[in-house]
Amino acid sequence: MHCAPICVAVATVGLLTGVARTDAYAQTMRSFGTARQLHGETRLVARVDFGAGSLRLAPADDRTLYRMRVSYDEGRYAPVGRYADSHVTLGLASAGGKVLRVSTGQPVRQTADVQLSRRVELALDVTLGAVEGAIELGGMRLREVRLELGASRTTVRFSSPNRAPCERADFSAGAAELSIYGLGNSRCSTIRYAGGVGTVTLDFGGEWAADARAEVRMALGQLHLRLPKGVGVRLRMDRFLASFDPAGLVRRGDAYLSPGYAQATHHLDLDLSTTIGGVTIAWLP
Amino acid sequence: MSRRSAGVVALIGGLLLAPRPARADGGVGRMVHEIRSAVQHLAGAPIAPAQHPRGRSPAPQPIAAGGPTIDLSDLSHPVALEASLRGPAALTGPSLKLTIPDGQARLGDFSIGSDQALQGHLLVIRGNADVYGRLLGNLVTLDGDVTVHPGGTVSGDVLALRGEVHDAGGEIGGEVRTLSAATPVPATEARPALSAGRQVFQNLAGVVGVLLTVTALGFGLVTFGRHNLEIVSDTVIHSFGRAFVSGLLGQMLLLPTFGMLVVGLILSVAGVLLLPFAVVVYVLLVVGGIVGGFLAVAHAMGETYVRRRLALGAMGSPNSYRYVLLGMTTPAVLWLAWAVFGWVPVAGDLIRGAALLVTWLLATAGFGAALLSRAGIRHNFAGRLIPPEALTDEYLWATPQFGVPAAQRPGGTRTPPSRR
Repeated sequence: MHCAPICVAVATVGLLTGVARTDAYAQTMRSFGTARQLHGETRLVARVDFGAGSLRLAPADDRTLYRMRVSYDEGRYAPVGRYADSHVTLGLASAGGKVLRVSTGQPVRQTADVQLSRRVELALDVTLGAVEGAIELGGMRLREVRLELGASRTTVRFSSPNRAPCERADFSAGAAELSIYGLGNSRCSTIRYAGGVGTVTLDFGGEWAADARAEVRMALGQLHLRLPKGVGVRLRMDRFLASFDPAGLVRRGDAYLSPGYAQATHHLDLDLSTTIGGVTIAWLP
Repeated sequence: MSRRSAGVVALIGGLLLAPRPARADGGVGRMVHEIRSAVQHLAGAPIAPAQHPRGRSPAPQPIAAGGPTIDLSDLSHPVALEASLRGPAALTGPSLKLTIPDGQARLGDFSIGSDQALQGHLLVIRGNADVYGRLLGNLVTLDGDVTVHPGGTVSGDVLALRGEVHDAGGEIGGEVRTLSAATPVPATEARPALSAGRQVFQNLAGVVGVLLTVTALGFGLVTFGRHNLEIVSDTVIHSFGRAFVSGLLGQMLLLPTFGMLVVGLILSVAGVLLLPFAVVVYVLLVVGGIVGGFLAVAHAMGETYVRRRLALGAMGSPNSYRYVLLGMTTPAVLWLAWAVFGWVPVAGDLIRGAALLVTWLLATAGFGAALLSRAGIRHNFAGRLIPPEALTDEYLWATPQFGVPAAQRPGGTRTPPSRR
């Protein structure tokens, strides 16, 4: 009889302890790796899908066609690594579990490290969600590149010249902070950017090998253009409630031209459309 | 079952439901793991794989055929393959049997010599696989690493489940995959670990800061908008139900209203110019309505309390500053309780839930009162509703109707007839 309150207390503590300690495990993380050696392939169509976390994409070593190492939340995502007929799909797909999680702590961040061969002609298609991305595309043989961002903060670099002629580079973003450095090194003849809200930096520096045309459509936000002095720049602008400082560009008809446009070896035609926000220009030496 | 045994069962249940340790090497740990596996199996939960410490591989030996069939021809679904291997691989001794179509299974370390060529798929369980020669098929290890040495060749895919693949210069014709063991991450590890004292201090600092800010806003509102604040406050007092329902509806209509505002301005060509300003004004109005309404509710609570105290003979000055300050104590007490006891596993969450609920209730009622009284401009809901039955001749004589003095009322006989 004297045991009653003690027993009830013990039972309550036991059950609460079990429940509390079971709930204390919020995530189950796993690591997945996939890779393929280079066996004489000459081209690769690579698609990278990554929903949440941080992603690093860089050139691979000379023996590797592609490689991915990803640390992921097993309850929400499943790793993807498929290769067939020179097409590879890498990244994470939804595991079909609960998408919304209520947790008192910040979740452990998913990470992905993707490497792609610099020895094959590459068509790259990257889709990122809520991702902090660092993408290095310098020194590859990019034939075309498409990058689609959701709510992402991503930096793309062409640190060294692309080793193949690139047909086009398409970038699109929802609410993102995107910085692209060294677009001159990309050697893409057509560069497109379409963005919703955010801050975008387009750096056209690098070693120019041919003329290029760029179309930039931006709804709301800041656009920072970094233009090389040695390249002739022609800027056509359609803006509405957006501030713009020509910063040395000279108005000629419906366009702004950089000084010495006619004498420049390479030219950049820039079509710019922005609604609300601002456009700034900085000159690269 | 007696109460004593119920308590013991509950305590054991708590221990069993608790997450298992990373490794259960010791006898007690293994026993706990076995009990947990049995309980989870009975409960229908997936059984966590047994942890086999790396570096202590069993003696190399072939695994006899005859058990479950494991197909190694397609390694593109490593998670599913691991799940199918998990049960059979946990067995030991003669009970460990596997059927590998077009291949074989081995237990413990296994090596293919440089002068050897192995035809078919190979599964190595609880051991490393070293390839110096040629393997004409796929290679899978479970709880072991794969090393393809210079001159070694694997014609198919390589998969290391809970292991690594080391490319030491060999040739791998297919895909290389690795899949680590699942690692549960405690929720407490997901954020920087704070001691209880530091967490309490951090929460206290945040709560006190917010309370001071809101109180300062309240004093500002009393100083510069006392009339409107009092009308909203009276609306809360006299029409609390209507204010709450209005606040609830108002919250639900916030986003649709915003969408309609934006679409309407975009569709009207001239209105597009006003869009940025309209967005800012709308947000300010909503925030002002919610915060001002919350302060009006605090004012109402404080006023009610002070008037009751005065009615009981207590001394004090009835002023709006005091009302707001006193009214803020109710949410303040709840949030301070959370700040102090928030680190307690279950009670902390309950207190936070209560504080959130009370704050939301007050803010909703205040927002509704602000809507009903048009931010304190309309008096309609701020007075008591007096039913016609309660209107006596004396009241009507002393109270002008519709702005017309009673003495000048035509007819002079508009007094409602008595119901007696």
